[in-house]
Formats: sequence, C-alpha cells, structure tokens
Amino acid sequence: MKKFKDFWFRQDKVAYVFLMPSLVILFVFAFIPLISSAVIAFMHMDIFFSDVHPAGLTNFINAFKDGRFLNAIKNTLVFALIEMPLQILAGLLIANLLSHNSFFNKLCRSVFFIPVVCAMSAIGVVFSLLLDGNIGMVPYLLSKFFGVRDISFFREAQWAMPTVIIMTVWKNFGYTMSILIVGIQGISQDYYEAARMDGANKVDEFFYITIPQLMQSLGFCIITNLIGSLQVFDQVYVTTGGGPQRKTETLVYYIYKTGFSQPYDLGYACAMSVLLLIVILILSVPVYLRIFRPEER
Amino acid sequence: MRRKHEAGWYVAQALKYVLLVFLIIIVIYPIAWMFMGSIKLEKEILRFPPTFFGSKYTFKSYKRVFTEIPMLQYLKNTVIFAGVTTVGAVLFDSMAGYAFARLRFRHKNLIFILVLLTMMVPFQVVMIPMFLEVRYLGLLDTYAGLILPKITSAFGIFMMRSYFAELPKELEEAARVDGCSEMGIFFRIMMPLVRPGMLTLAIFHLMNNWNDLLYPLMMTSDSKMRTLSAGLALFVGEHGTLHYGAQLAGAVVTILPLLVLYTFFQKYFVSSAVSSGVKG
Repeated sequence: MKKFKDFWFRQDKVAYVFLMPSLVILFVFAFIPLISSAVIAFMHMDIFFSDVHPAGLTNFINAFKDGRFLNAIKNTLVFALIEMPLQILAGLLIANLLSHNSFFNKLCRSVFFIPVVCAMSAIGVVFSLLLDGNIGMVPYLLSKFFGVRDISFFREAQWAMPTVIIMTVWKNFGYTMSILIVGIQGISQDYYEAARMDGANKVDEFFYITIPQLMQSLGFCIITNLIGSLQVFDQVYVTTGGGPQRKTETLVYYIYKTGFSQPYDLGYACAMSVLLLIVILILSVPVYLRIFRPEER
Repeated sequence: MRRKHEAGWYVAQALKYVLLVFLIIIVIYPIAWMFMGSIKLEKEILRFPPTFFGSKYTFKSYKRVFTEIPMLQYLKNTVIFAGVTTVGAVLFDSMAGYAFARLRFRHKNLIFILVLLTMMVPFQVVMIPMFLEVRYLGLLDTYAGLILPKITSAFGIFMMRSYFAELPKELEEAARVDGCSEMGIFFRIMMPLVRPGMLTLAIFHLMNNWNDLLYPLMMTSDSKMRTLSAGLALFVGEHGTLHYGAQLAGAVVTILPLLVLYTFFQKYFVSSAVSSGVKG
C-alpha cells in the first residue's frame, strides 16, 4: 500500500501515466503506418492480399512511366502554385484593410471566417449548383451583364481547375486573413508613426513596414498553405471527381482511387504516397523550425 | 490630434468600404442561397433565369433527404465520432502536454522529438497502412475504428505543452508541499488554469473531425456508419443532377451545427485556426 501511494507522488513515474494514452495511439496509428507505408511501397500488394510479394523498385519505376500519375502531379502543382499565391494575397490585402478593431472591421472578420467553418462537401454542393451552366446564378449573371455564353464551370476542361482553385480561395482566405491580422496587430505602432513623420503614405507603410515586419507570419502561411495544397482532395471529390478529362485529378485523389477502387493496388498507392511525403518533408522543414523557435525561450 | 484629410483619403476610404461590402456579399451569398434553396420548391431551383427567393417555402427537401438517405443516422454518427474524439483528444493531449511541460522524467527530450516527428507526416501519406491496421483489428465500420486513430494528436500535445509551460512554477510546488498527489495537481490545479487553451484545442478537433471527408470515407463502407460530410458527398455523387433541394438540405444539416457553435464561440474558432497553422 505504501508503495502504491508513493507511485502517485513521484513525478518521474506519474509522467508515464500521463503520456501513456497518447504515446500508444501515436505509436499504433502514426508511427507503425509510417514505417509500413515505406515497406508496402516496395511490395506488390492489393487490398484483398491476393498476391503479396516484394516488388523492389517496380512501383516507383511504374509511377514515372504512368501518364496518369504524371498528369496528377502536374495538376497538383498547378493547383498549389496558383491557389497558394491567390489565398495569401487575398488574405494579406484584406488583413491589412481590417487590422484596426472597429465595429465594421470586426464584422467583416467574422463574416470572412464563416466559410472556413463549413464542410467542403457542403460548399461543393452549393458551388456546383451556383456555377451550373443551366440553372446556376453565376453563369446567368455573367451572360446577362457581360454577354458571356453560359459556362458550365465544373464540367468544361479549361474551366474546371480554375473553378476548383477559386472555390478553395473563397473557402480559405479567411483563415490566412485571421493569422495575418494577429501578425499585423503585433507590429509596433512606433514604426508607423516614425514613417508618417517622414511623410510616408499608406502604400509606403504597407510595403516598407507591414510586409517586412510580417515576413515570419507570411512565410509560415505560404509554406503551410503549399503543404496543404499538395494534399488537396475534398474539393475535387465533391465537385468534379477528377474530371473533365482528368484535368482536376490531383495526386491524393489518384492515390485514393488507386488504393480504394479498381485496381485496389495498395503497393502502388503507397509508393505514390512516399513520393508525396518526400516533397512535403522538404517543404516542411522551414515551417517546423519556425514553430519550434518560440519554444526554446 | 485630428488630422485633416485630403480628398484622396476620402476616395480611398469609400473604395475600401465598397470593396469590403462587395466581399461580404460574395461570401454570404452562396451560404444564404443554400438556406433559401433548401426550403424552395424543386422546380424553382431549376427555373431559368435563377432567382434568390422562392414564391413558396416548404420543408419537403428536408423530408426527402432524411427519408432517402439515413441522414439522422449520419448526424448521430458525426456527433459520436467528432464528440468523443474531441473530448478524448483534449484530455489525452493535455495530459501528455502537461508531462512534457512540467514533469521531470527519463528520455523526455527523445520522446518529445519522436512525437514531433509524427506531426510532420500528413494523414494522406499514411492512410493506406492505417486503413489496413484498422481492418486487421476488425474495427472497420465501427465507432472505435473511427475514433481511436484520432483520439490524440501530436499538434494538440505540442499546443497544450506551450500553455502549461506558461504557468508559474510556484503553483505545483506549493501543492506538493501540501501533500497533493501528481494526479491531484494536474486535475485540480493545472487543468482549470489552461481552460482557454483546452477550449481552443477542442474547437480545433471538433471542426477538423466534423468536416473531415477522406478519413471517414476510407474507414466506413457501411452506409449506416457514414458521417454527414462523407454521406453528403456520396449522396451528391449518386444523385448528380437529381434532387437539388435535398442536396442543399443535406448541406445545411451538415454545416448548421458548426455554424451555430461558431456564433457562440467565435473567439475560439479563430484562435484555433491561428494557433494551428498546420492544416490537414
């Protein structure tokens, strides 16, 4: 009994009790899958385990010969490299307009954050209908005021990807905006006052004070946004299903399709996941350096 | 001191408000239209030219979506999945974060680095082995299979660690002198002090799990086990150009609970986004 009582008063012992649930879960559902992923990538394995055997580099070699994989890479890069700058730019400009805590500004911030809260599957439904070439409000207004023909945004090869990108920016710019507003509010007012003394106008202030002082938050947003964009799935799944003509088939979407529908090829899907992981890790390093720094105070 | 403004300043201000009001319309319109569409008659959604208001309002679309697919079951599944995951994850993340922030034990730094490593790996990369594992454990299409992999997060541990690290050192020393056990110190003294952090983390978990699509899609194949987000996506996939009203009603049911929470806990939604950074 004495011994039992002692246990709960020894922090070097109790610490493991505190850690146990999280460590077990992380080990089973993060660590083991990570290792397995690297192993399965070098195996021939389908979802039914019908013919499991080592495959060496076959999956990786096949990937670079697979036009659909290369197409998915291309689409993912197009998405990431266009969506990210648009979202950052929108977030930054709007954050700059809304950084003061007036009633109207706070109202705007609350409103712009609403899409962030909404599930992408619901947003996808709404956009599919609003942008529909036959019944949608947007094509109707475009043809009424600008004389454009009724475009079926998600169903036309050249419009599908831009539309998915715009929808994503619409949903997520409030997120970037919120992070950057906190950043802008952290900039000392002294800089702005000094600049005003020197006759700087608002545009000067934005380029010579706000942006340089915001570099850390901005860099953080850029890289996390890029990493998130490389994993884009939900938008595509609920609106275009990868079409038309595979113009919106992204890497994670193709991985999902490969593993969980015909041909149910888990080995190949894992090999593609590993390639994705390598790209993401390269991009992640600066982010984690940035996150961990304040911890070392 | 009141500055006199030039004409250009007024023009700029006017432009700013015009732009912001325009943006508010762009953000609100699709969501307002979704609510309107869900109570309009089907034929009025299909009418050309499209209209915002309907001539008659009805709950037929809601009735349809609740009878054609087990929407009520989806709602229940989502509440159980997101709810249990959130409560469990906040508790476990807090416990682990607390240990890393304030307790002394062997191999602390090594264990912490391993935890952080798992944070760098996105779910999309490990989803296939995770699926195999859950299947091997016989937990596909069960609440346990949905909840267990998500019931802690390296990010949450990391975040709670920084909240606990900010508390003054004297607190637990006084409690230890008074003969309080380590468990007592955590539950009675420390946890109440980081309530804002726990709420922020709770919103983070709730929002991510409620809205998650790929994960529940993969872990459930039985239509009785689907979540709202996955169920809606599959319903839309099956009825592409049919039952538009029902699709919109399903969308409303999916997002309304979080929207209601957002109006009450807005501060925590925004702070969870700001402190998270790493999405996915």
